Amino acid sequence: MGKLELIQALNSDTGRVWNVGWHPKGAALASCGEDKSIRIWTKDLRGKWTNKIVLTDGHKRTIRQVSWSPSGNYLASASFDATTCIWDRKSGEFECNATLEGHDNEVKSVAWSSNGLFLATCSRDKSVWIWEVNDEDEYDCTSVINSHTQDVKKVTFHPTENILASCSYDDTIKLYKDEPSEFEWICYETLTGHSSTVWSIAFDSTGSRLASCSDDGTVKIWKEYPSGFPPGNGAPTWKCVCTLDGYHERTIYDISWCRLTGLIATASGDDCVRVFKEDANSDPDQPTFSLVATEKAHSQDVNCVAWSPEVPGLLASCSDDGEIKLWEFKK
Amino acid sequence: MSRFSGTLQLTDLDDFINPSQECIKPVKIEKTTNSTGSKITIREDGYFQIADDGSSQKLQKVEITLADCLACSGCITSAESVLVTQQSQEELLRVFQENDKLKSINSPEAKVIIVSISIQPLLSLSVRYQLTPNECASKLAHYFKRLGADMVVDMSVADDLAILESQREFIRRFRSRENDGVKNALPMLASSCPGFVCYAEKTHGSYILPYIATTKSPQQIMGSLIKEYVRNNLGNRQIYHVTVMPCYDKKLEATREDFYSKETDSKDVDCVITAIELEQMLSREGIELNSLDNGTFHQPWVSNDSEVSPDLAGNSGSGSGGYSDQIFKYAARELFGRDNVNLEYKSIRNPDFREVLLESNGEVLLRFAIVNGFRNIQNLVQKLKRGKSQYDYVEVMACPSGCLNGGAQIRPGDGKSVKELITEIEGLYESLSSPLPEENKIIKHLYDHWLGGQDSDKCSKILHTQYHEIEKIPNALNIKW
Repeated sequence: MGKLELIQALNSDTGRVWNVGWHPKGAALASCGEDKSIRIWTKDLRGKWTNKIVLTDGHKRTIRQVSWSPSGNYLASASFDATTCIWDRKSGEFECNATLEGHDNEVKSVAWSSNGLFLATCSRDKSVWIWEVNDEDEYDCTSVINSHTQDVKKVTFHPTENILASCSYDDTIKLYKDEPSEFEWICYETLTGHSSTVWSIAFDSTGSRLASCSDDGTVKIWKEYPSGFPPGNGAPTWKCVCTLDGYHERTIYDISWCRLTGLIATASGDDCVRVFKEDANSDPDQPTFSLVATEKAHSQDVNCVAWSPEVPGLLASCSDDGEIKLWEFKK
Repeated sequence: MSRFSGTLQLTDLDDFINPSQECIKPVKIEKTTNSTGSKITIREDGYFQIADDGSSQKLQKVEITLADCLACSGCITSAESVLVTQQSQEELLRVFQENDKLKSINSPEAKVIIVSISIQPLLSLSVRYQLTPNECASKLAHYFKRLGADMVVDMSVADDLAILESQREFIRRFRSRENDGVKNALPMLASSCPGFVCYAEKTHGSYILPYIATTKSPQQIMGSLIKEYVRNNLGNRQIYHVTVMPCYDKKLEATREDFYSKETDSKDVDCVITAIELEQMLSREGIELNSLDNGTFHQPWVSNDSEVSPDLAGNSGSGSGGYSDQIFKYAARELFGRDNVNLEYKSIRNPDFREVLLESNGEVLLRFAIVNGFRNIQNLVQKLKRGKSQYDYVEVMACPSGCLNGGAQIRPGDGKSVKELITEIEGLYESLSSPLPEENKIIKHLYDHWLGGQDSDKCSKILHTQYHEIEKIPNALNIKW
């Protein structure tokens, strides 16, 4: 068994914290929540994480997610006010230089593609939107996809390709790709298996596997079979190859798959953060994962977990209890 | 699956609360003049009003009409159940049967049933039943008459009126911007797509509505022509007016209060039937359209209405009515004295966002665009909101590829892709003759004998309409995580 050691609790007295997002270089952490502001935390000279920047006036309602662009030059924020803001610091200070409107109601999630050319948003209006990033801070809507039949909870891009995944209150996960002949993104795969809302999804470092977490209390690992299933038997497909059941007592709200260590962290409504590690002799077609740490991390629902993209084992979590916590995973 | 255009499907959906619970019109409260307020309790068997003396009275449930739904910023897809009962093939067949009975007893209550057929569903059915457009039209004419229609008519007369009115409206708007500096005059946006109009009213209100042409859509011009002029010609007999259209959204349009006449207590269009529903009606009756006899079209707007064999025409340009092309050519001539201009569209980003310019020595005189489908509407609307649109006119349609691919056109059969089907229908559309609307003698007759000449007050009263911003209702139930 390993353990999660608390490095620092970041208390900002802002009420419920919905999401934290690491800057791609790991040097800053952005947080957002029901106070409608975005806070950017950086390490001071003594090595303490402190809140240097507070971004307000972008949104009229709760901010549900923040997401840094791959270059780290832009920060996108998705809000229940139905808009997505793009912040940049071209002028030296962070400013909201574009507001993406179009969703009918609450925007639940926002994500950048690995090449930084696309942005995806999803909403309670059941749709997933793909935006193309143009010069001069213009964001054009290239696709509006109505594949899900319910509230879409999260969008996330493949780590290297122009492939998008989304998950929903309709219990499914969907995968999308750019289809140049149609001038549009299309949904090409629907993953079913969860018996309740799929709250979050995370690709591994290669993008050939996807982890999902659900209100049904399970984590599922999905694997891509590029030559069909069984392999060599047709069109590319994704299969569920592992279900982690019985570890969580309540809804699992978020999942993060570390691209440095391969560790999977989960955030749950039972106030705990858990870490899973793939077993050394794990069969690629039937992988096994072991629970290596459970920590009662917060006093209320944990809303989000995020592994640092730079420091192996460094994990951030945030909660309804208003706190953001930084943890170090120790074997 | 909803058959509304994508634009309408996206508007204000809700996953947690059923429409009936959230609907603002669940019960009717009979107001009594002397009481100051009323208590309502909800029991399993209904809603009850509690009077001051403690007695309770059961409240009536309110029938929700499509008009209620249109006037509300709440749910829209749930209105489909309402739609289905008021605007369905069942309703149409019921009307036909009832009218038949009335006719058989020579009742004065019997109505004249007129069916107006638009070109897009006709082409959809032509492809489905492998008929030429004119053959298909005459078979359909026969079919509707067999069902009990008194007249079947070609809607192109209304298409032409819509084009001519739009052309002149564009010139007015252009000059009001050039001469009087009127903002919000341009770009003029096409008004014939009810999906776009409804979306703009419910979500963008005052930002977008001033730009939408006030010229009525062909369906509603047809409605006025039939319910006013033709009705008059028929000695003010009651008319039941059916239109055959390419999309479900047209049913919403027909139900707008703006198109209801108090005078005759009737809607300008009583029932909208789509290509997909016609196919269902035919297959339910086991009818192969090909095997039917040929019928004829009426022309009740000319003084000596003689029945004619269908001779369909289109307007050159897009299959959505050719608005961009027709207005562009007219404006080039009227405003810049340029005749016979050649329109070369350039795709912007995708084939459903195309623009065309009129240039003179590198200066852009006119910038028009055809914008189809929801995602492109988004980009257009956002540009307009931010004041970044450079367009003078935009033909906006909610469906990708426009009206030939309307949401209620017949889906492709076995082995055919949507793209192939659209290409085939577009080919048929282009094969039609496209006489100039301004040279249509019937139109001239109508302007002279019905509308009191072009640009008359009667024209603006009868051929134009208005749009209404629908404010979002702050609803406690809407505030959710």
